Amino acid sequence: MEYILEVFLDDYRLNKIKGSPVEQNIEAIFGGELKVLRVKVGEEVKNEILKAFETARIDSRACITDTPVAFKRALFEEIAKQKSLGEEVVKAVLAKIEEIKQLAAKESEYLPPPDIETD
Amino acid sequence: MSELYFKRPMPHGGKLVERVITDKKVAKKYLKACEKYCAVYDIKPTLHYKRGVPVRNVYREIMSVCYGFFSPVEGSMTSAELESVLTKRRLLSGWVFPYPILFDISKEDFKRLGVSEGDRLILRLKGKPFAMLDIEEIYEIDPEELANRTFGSPETNPEVVQEKFDDKHPGWVIYRSHQPIILAGKYTIINEPIFKPPFDRFWVPPRKCREIFEQRGWRTAIAHQTRNVPHVGHEFLMKNAAYTGDVEPCHGILVNAIIGVKRRGDYPDEAILEAHEAVHKAGYIKPERHMVTFTLWDMRYGNPLESLLHGIIRQNMGCTHHMFGRDHAAVGEYYDKFATQILWLKGIPSYGFDKPVNEVEGGLLIRPQNMREFWYCPVCKEMAYSENCNHSKQKEKLSGSLIRGLVAEGVQPPTVIMRPEVFKVVVKWWKKFGYPFVNEKYVQWKEEELEVDLPDLD
Ligand SMILES: [Zn+2]
Repeated sequence: MEYILEVFLDDYRLNKIKGSPVEQNIEAIFGGELKVLRVKVGEEVKNEILKAFETARIDSRACITDTPVAFKRALFEEIAKQKSLGEEVVKAVLAKIEEIKQLAAKESEYLPPPDIETD
Repeated sequence: MSELYFKRPMPHGGKLVERVITDKKVAKKYLKACEKYCAVYDIKPTLHYKRGVPVRNVYREIMSVCYGFFSPVEGSMTSAELESVLTKRRLLSGWVFPYPILFDISKEDFKRLGVSEGDRLILRLKGKPFAMLDIEEIYEIDPEELANRTFGSPETNPEVVQEKFDDKHPGWVIYRSHQPIILAGKYTIINEPIFKPPFDRFWVPPRKCREIFEQRGWRTAIAHQTRNVPHVGHEFLMKNAAYTGDVEPCHGILVNAIIGVKRRGDYPDEAILEAHEAVHKAGYIKPERHMVTFTLWDMRYGNPLESLLHGIIRQNMGCTHHMFGRDHAAVGEYYDKFATQILWLKGIPSYGFDKPVNEVEGGLLIRPQNMREFWYCPVCKEMAYSENCNHSKQKEKLSGSLIRGLVAEGVQPPTVIMRPEVFKVVVKWWKKFGYPFVNEKYVQWKEEELEVDLPDLD
């Protein structure tokens, strides 16, 4: 079975992959309001992700969700670097899993809020 | 025409329980009389029996009992009442009630207090007098047995229970973490706690709520259960479920949030309440038609059992209808996804319901409005109801985890998923707590601070 890792794109990320072949694979969902890249992985890689992060789970769309932000950030960087959506980008991220786990541990204490105005 | 109108239901049990002494002079007299003869007990949080983190505070139950949310329950249950609730989900008076409500203390505290049946115990909260407990009976429980019998098992409740309850279930953990000595008897609040902002704006006990319904002319009102920040799917559920009513859609939508110990990954209580308020402040639902309130309760996640408690609370608040979705107040796969619907439409004999909740003796008057789900449909170009839209291939589901993922990465969710005003509220509290969701730090802080402060009684 195939599982999906979704990488959401804001303006910063859209800029970073501009002109690269990955750009062709951007999908627009929710009436075109949300841009997303989808990386497909097999059973083995999915199990490795679930093993690495206790919060991770599979939702009803076969998407792997609730992975740490550090993991998703690294995944995007790897996509931008390799200009690919193949399983190899995930494998490259998993190769530095210890480093990501350390960042993820800090993430359960603090996450920087977005810079928008609030009341 | 008028015979087609629905009437506001009576409180569960016929009369609202109100056990709060509001006159300070009277309260002080009680305290004075007690000085010589009453033992004093400082309320402490219930800690996880293995991990030691807070999982409950009994003060929330005392508040919900004394202000009438749990009518007709008046206090901590006697052993006979507990047995009746566990075997039949009925109080001794015959009224339906799903859960044990108990005042539990450790054996050491029991020895230290030296109380016996017939004594009055003064309960202090945050170091100040808070309530009295008039002890009718003292008995011992086995917390593990209590936890198991409260929720049932695949053997005893095969209609809806799919898995054995264990320490991964937060409600089971709450009962498993109860102390073994139960002091049974009525509670009376003698010193009204003061809610801190933003909780103060949303504190609407049943009597007050019924008065507001009357003032607003809400003959019919539908309750929405929440422990979440509303996304647009929730908003559509509220709006569309409210089309039921009597001869016209429900006049009001009552959002009632359950406020208590949260799980990691939930949103903070403060954000939940203000985010629901943002829905009417920004005009997605007119404020005249939408009201945000809360009940203090450390959620037991008992799906069909929890739905009974929800029905009781909101009937007491004066609602004619209650919306229920799939996986109502559920966690994990312990229950059938539609266990709540089964209970309200058919009954669950093993829990004591051979007929639907509204048809059994001592049952509820509030009507269920059972709903399926909403998703975004790019073909219909709208937030579509799953039983209308036939584009199940193209549908785009709004999962909570999808939105959490966006929020955590600081990506503003599109307006069709989460309203910008709601997101703003999330960010407001994110800035305060340094984190958008509940984490261990928040739970520790919240359970020390609680939702209230207590005034001096001098
Ligand atoms: Zn459609």
